Amino acid sequence: MTRTLQTTRDDYLIAGFAALAITIHIAESALPSPLPGIKPGLANVVTLVVLCRYGWQMAAWVSLLRVLVGSILIGTFLSPTFFLSVAGALASVVVLGLLFALSRTLPGWAVGPMGYGVAAALAHMSGQFWVAYAIFVPHSGLLTLYPLLMTLAAVLGIVSGLLTRTILARLNSAPSGGNPV
Amino acid sequence: MNGVKLSRGDAVVWLLAATLLVGLYAMFWQADGHGAEAVVLVNGKRWARLDLFQNQDLDVPGPLGHSHIQVRDGQVRFVSSPCPNQLCVHTGWLSQGGEVAICLPNRVSLQILGSDPRFDAINF
Repeated sequence: MTRTLQTTRDDYLIAGFAALAITIHIAESALPSPLPGIKPGLANVVTLVVLCRYGWQMAAWVSLLRVLVGSILIGTFLSPTFFLSVAGALASVVVLGLLFALSRTLPGWAVGPMGYGVAAALAHMSGQFWVAYAIFVPHSGLLTLYPLLMTLAAVLGIVSGLLTRTILARLNSAPSGGNPV
Repeated sequence: MNGVKLSRGDAVVWLLAATLLVGLYAMFWQADGHGAEAVVLVNGKRWARLDLFQNQDLDVPGPLGHSHIQVRDGQVRFVSSPCPNQLCVHTGWLSQGGEVAICLPNRVSLQILGSDPRFDAINF
């Protein structure tokens, strides 16, 4: 019995965007970080762009593939870092899903890149923070750090929202099918 | 797509995010290590439980007489006690979780309750 694997246009898009996100993810992991858990989250910009252009389902694929493949390539697969990343990615995908669904049902109140960026960053930070607190460092002193980390996340979320908006504007003005830059 | 213009939905998300952040600071940065409650023991038995943010004065009866305890703005102390050495009074204000002041002659002790006490145990 032979089976042919049907591939769709979406599969190629997911693969392409995931590859892009993974590349940024790895480049970013080489940057020094002042605090564990603090990263510019540039790879998340790819997720946001996909979300705004192609919808939530593809964005979820890109985000989760990025965490999985990125960790395998960096060598943190199944390490504590990996579980923190998964928790963060899952939390932000869920929150983005809720906002995306709300935007669909209430078009007058549709959320754009700026809102998605902040919400995703806060959800990501919360997800990884609570997993870190529950599993790795269950010390109440860690809680003192939580508001500070969330503030940083909000700021970085605004930055990623701005980047997303700029990229979307460029993509929308580019000739369709073209691949600018 | 100009400037930092937000859509209505974005504005709502930012507002919620800001509220969340304020709430988090209020929740996790307010009660830093300070105990919010204290217990008064007489003869080793719980005599009263005090809210440290409710100012009050109370007279605690012991075998020698009344020990006067004062609660002010998250702190608590022995003001006077009918004991010869006045160790409890000289202990001064208590505010951190786990801190204690004890009047052995009058069998009265005062301890701040805290989820994260500064000391595990104190020996004299």
